[in-house]
Amino acid sequence: MSIAWQFYISSILVYLGVDVMACWGLNLQFGVTGIMNFAYIVFQAAGAYTAAILTLGPSSRSLFQHYIGGANLPFPIPIIAAGAVGALLSLVVGTFTLRRLRVDYQAMVMLIVSLIAINVATNQVDLVNGSAGLSLVPKPLSQVLNLDLVNYQWFYVALTAVVCVIVFLFVHQVTRSPLGRTLRAIRDNEHSAAALGKNVTRFRLLAFVLGGAIAGVSGAILVEFIGTWAPGSWTYAETFVLFTAIIVGGTGNNLGVAVGALLVPVVFLEATRFLPPIGYPGLIDALQWVAVGLLALLFLWRWPRGVIPERRRRFRKPAPG
Amino acid sequence: MSVLVASIGFGLISTSILAIAAVGFTLQFGVTNVFNLAYGSVMTGAAYAAYVANQFGVDIWVSMVLGGLFGAALSLLINRGLYTPFARHGLGLAGIIQVTLALGLILENGLQAIFGPSYHSYQMSQGPSFHFGSMVFTAVQVGIMGIALASMIGVHALLAHTKLGKAMRATAADAPLARSCGIRTEFVTDIAWLLSGLLCGIAGVILVMDLQSFTSTTGSNFLVPVLAAAVLGGIGQPYGAMLGALIIGMVSEVAAAVTLPQYKEVIAFVILLVVLLFRPRGILAEVASLKEVVA
Repeated sequence: MSIAWQFYISSILVYLGVDVMACWGLNLQFGVTGIMNFAYIVFQAAGAYTAAILTLGPSSRSLFQHYIGGANLPFPIPIIAAGAVGALLSLVVGTFTLRRLRVDYQAMVMLIVSLIAINVATNQVDLVNGSAGLSLVPKPLSQVLNLDLVNYQWFYVALTAVVCVIVFLFVHQVTRSPLGRTLRAIRDNEHSAAALGKNVTRFRLLAFVLGGAIAGVSGAILVEFIGTWAPGSWTYAETFVLFTAIIVGGTGNNLGVAVGALLVPVVFLEATRFLPPIGYPGLIDALQWVAVGLLALLFLWRWPRGVIPERRRRFRKPAPG
Repeated sequence: MSVLVASIGFGLISTSILAIAAVGFTLQFGVTNVFNLAYGSVMTGAAYAAYVANQFGVDIWVSMVLGGLFGAALSLLINRGLYTPFARHGLGLAGIIQVTLALGLILENGLQAIFGPSYHSYQMSQGPSFHFGSMVFTAVQVGIMGIALASMIGVHALLAHTKLGKAMRATAADAPLARSCGIRTEFVTDIAWLLSGLLCGIAGVILVMDLQSFTSTTGSNFLVPVLAAAVLGGIGQPYGAMLGALIIGMVSEVAAAVTLPQYKEVIAFVILLVVLLFRPRGILAEVASLKEVVA
């Protein structure tokens, strides 16, 4: 394989891992618990900024970018911190929005939250360097390992895979445990769950925080790989791609969601890279978004349960008497 | 002081545009329970329809009416062709929200594919300026405020004094009951979409007349303030939407004058979030239980 192809394929694999992780986190919130988190990308961004700031070193040493705090922490700490910040931000936002609000109000409030977040990140330049974003984020362990560029790429693929496995074991454990059963009960019938003594708001908040932590980790893995992060790259449309991936893959099914993450953000969006350029620059991008929207509509109409539907759970009838 | 007064002038214009859009959004939501996130893209569509008419030499005010009619037709078509079939297919409330979001994305990017990513402007003059103390309005802005006032009075007259308005309120309160009382809820739903689309289209065109240039994302960027105004007053409540528009429009412009201008929307949204903490259903809403989609 030529070096260029190795670069391309290894990069795609990292993107795939990030998307799969992000979809699992969103699936925990939306697919399993039924929270319409249209601000999901904000929590991914929060994780990415955290990881970037904790690897870039103190802000005062940088001439061209300004950010709050700054440290030079060794490899796994920035990623763990990103997860923690994602969870913490989710806790704050969730406390505000998950209380007593209807599903559609929640969806709308999430849209507003994402707009506020983009506004603040863009305009408060000393926070995370405004609309220019952060760049030149050092790659983890690159100095310790001393690999050439191509081998480092493959190392990062392996790293992403390991994190993916950890995240999978986590979401798998959550969804198959009694906790997962409670979350699904809340999704399917909030009032019945409440009648059985489940504190609906608390469980929603828990799922929201766990999903936010995963979002933060996925953002950290992405930013440590590509090295830059700017607010222009996280609009509600990006979240919609993840929603589409979950719908296509199979809402509520971790395996299906992973397949969806392969099909929509990776295969569907990467395939157009090989199209010959037509029209003005940006025409293909616009048509691509049209196609993603049509894909979501097609699946919602024809296969609303996705490629790999959520397993229908059966329970034995209690013995009579 | 004069800055503050001038900002109240800006606030009046923002309020006018927001009020038309928010009342349109909330009327349709109240009757049908569809949380239509494609609303902003329909606004953009109407703005482009008016742009095409304007390019053929049609006067801008006539183009605005055409834009409104386009918005009405498009909204009716969207509901008949997409939302109603999906609702009858058994898609729940959360699924319908995703359908509307997908449609918004399709419309926005479809318009970009047709008209290109660049900014467009209407051929129009802003007319002479009028001074009220330290507030300055162009003739166009006075026209915008007049249209907003006329629309609000029209909506009030419709809802309060006509049989159709009564039927709409009945459908909004309880659709199955309204149906069993002999109200043709399908007809009422169609009217609600037409009226909402008309207001949406007019709001889209006057938004662009005020901004003076627009692109395919203009409407969807305006959607969040519209949602904020509609929800602040209590969604499904036309008078609440008017009040919400007044608060969001005024607060954002006055806040821009007294604090940093780039945070004008943020401040308005933070107010909304705080209000929702204490009154989760908005200021005016008394009963707003979660209902199913009315198709």
